[in-house]
Amino acid sequence: MRERIDMRLVVAAVLGLTVVAAVAGLPFFTSERYILRVFTFAGVNVIIITGMALLFGYAGQVSLGHAAFFGVGAYASAFVVTQLGWPWIGGVIVAIVLTATGGLLLALPSLRLKGHYLAMATLAFGEIMRVVFTEARTVTGGPDGLSGIPYPSLGPLAFDSASASYWLVWAVAGITLLLAANLVRSRAGRAMRALHGSELGATACGIDITGIKVRVFVISASFAGLAGALYAHVVGFISPSTFSLHVSVLLVAMAVLGGTSSLLGPVIAAVLLTLIPFSDAVIPGLSRSALETIQEWQEDIYGLTIIAVMIFMPGGIGGLLRRIGTGRSAER
Amino acid sequence: MGGVELLQFALAGLKNGAIYALVALGFTIVYASTGVINFAQGEFYMLGGMLSVWAYADLGLPLPLAAVVGVMTTAVVGAVFELLAIRPRKDGNPLALIIITVGGSMVLSSSARHLFGPLERALPSFSGTGTVSILGAALEIQSIWILGLTALAVASLWYLYNRTSLGRAMRACAVDRNAARLVGIDTRRVVTVSFLLAAALGALAGLAVTPLTQTAFNVGPSVGIKGFAAAILGGLGNPIAAVAGGLVLGMLESMSIAFISSTYKDAIALIVLLSVLFWRPQGLFGRSGREKV
Repeated sequence: MRERIDMRLVVAAVLGLTVVAAVAGLPFFTSERYILRVFTFAGVNVIIITGMALLFGYAGQVSLGHAAFFGVGAYASAFVVTQLGWPWIGGVIVAIVLTATGGLLLALPSLRLKGHYLAMATLAFGEIMRVVFTEARTVTGGPDGLSGIPYPSLGPLAFDSASASYWLVWAVAGITLLLAANLVRSRAGRAMRALHGSELGATACGIDITGIKVRVFVISASFAGLAGALYAHVVGFISPSTFSLHVSVLLVAMAVLGGTSSLLGPVIAAVLLTLIPFSDAVIPGLSRSALETIQEWQEDIYGLTIIAVMIFMPGGIGGLLRRIGTGRSAER
Repeated sequence: MGGVELLQFALAGLKNGAIYALVALGFTIVYASTGVINFAQGEFYMLGGMLSVWAYADLGLPLPLAAVVGVMTTAVVGAVFELLAIRPRKDGNPLALIIITVGGSMVLSSSARHLFGPLERALPSFSGTGTVSILGAALEIQSIWILGLTALAVASLWYLYNRTSLGRAMRACAVDRNAARLVGIDTRRVVTVSFLLAAALGALAGLAVTPLTQTAFNVGPSVGIKGFAAAILGGLGNPIAAVAGGLVLGMLESMSIAFISSTYKDAIALIVLLSVLFWRPQGLFGRSGREKV
């Protein structure tokens, strides 16, 4: 028994180090900007999905407005950096504070109620923000968006190349993942798993389920805000379409495919679904027409993925990994 | 602002309110039988318009027949969606079902784009493009069609709920699904019928509005959100409240354009939605307390 656990730990450690090395080393294998760009997007989505994974996979709530938090972070950071001349890190802090506050204001009233009011409230919030992004022209630039947003920089250190932004985004993604992994293993994490099992049972054990759900939602909103502050500066251009309901739904697809009670599953799902419209970055020699076909059908792929996962494998990739890891059916 | 102008805005509000009422009825019917918010409801509205245009312009059917084909095909799509995507999730977990309808919404709008293309499509008015004058305010004849069809739909629904055994079974399910099953009601059939009816009502709204606004594969979500706001405003699960909520929302939007500005008119429904969720989640006409608090 002991030996088996040790072996699993060794395998996990080796696998983990290999993945980290592969992620960090990508810029050494390819210097093609396009490929680095695509994987930088994947890293941004990983940051958002880490928060969504806590919300969906642990606290059992779904948000249909996370693209709006992503957008608030992006616009806030772009505004204070380009208009007020703040340093990038100031933009990051403003983005996190704003989205955390917004998340709190949205979550407090809707999570007091039973049922799925949070999904509705986030949907409405997302649509209101879409109107604001389009109409508040002095701050957001209206439908045309904002361009010429400077690269992220920390003091003298400017992340002004494709590989530098790639490293920055994935380093931040790694930090958010570590934070989330810590949270999941803490007392709050155990409480979250308990309330996913049975809210009534968790309440009976003295767990403040509303308080925990609100906190998880605030964390997930601020992760999306942080991702926005990275995205705006790495890409240099933002417009309302990047933060639409459509993107919120895509994020839900990633969280659902990623599965419950798992962080690794959602990360894999986020990378996979981000790559779909950019398949030519990972499949060398993919023909132009094949790529166009994939892009033509990507909505259907996302939608059918959501439906199929909810019907046939509600545990998602995370549940699948647990089954492989333990060698038996994954039950709590 | 003069009285005629105000009346003009009120009539526009009534027309939009009737559309929201039909979409809200779809939300409420599905919610009553499943406890689920059907995010694909807006897509039924889109399909009603798109399929009618297809039957009229591509198949060359006469307009009344094309309208019937559009609404009935959408109703069948609604029932098939329930059979293929909702029923297989046997535990009926509401969060899972809600997420499935989100996926369904994507698939339905994308399919419409594959089948009918990405462009806006139009339908001629049902009986001429003229207007009638009501106390000096102009009302399009098509708007009278919209109001009439909504009234007809509400009356038929009232008959179904109060005079037929299927309607009584649906009401029983809305009160308590398990008790309904215990007295021998086929609750699964009720759920399928709910989706069929919800799709037909959404399609009717989409069909009636297409001569005025045109339609396209991507019109579903925005109308869906407004219909949902109307259903929440009235009180989810109650058909009369859904209709009232739709009319109130239409009026609120129209009056906000009249007295504030049209820039944020699309935000009105959303602000109403959030306000109701936060302060009166049972809706204007719902009873408080039941299962929600």
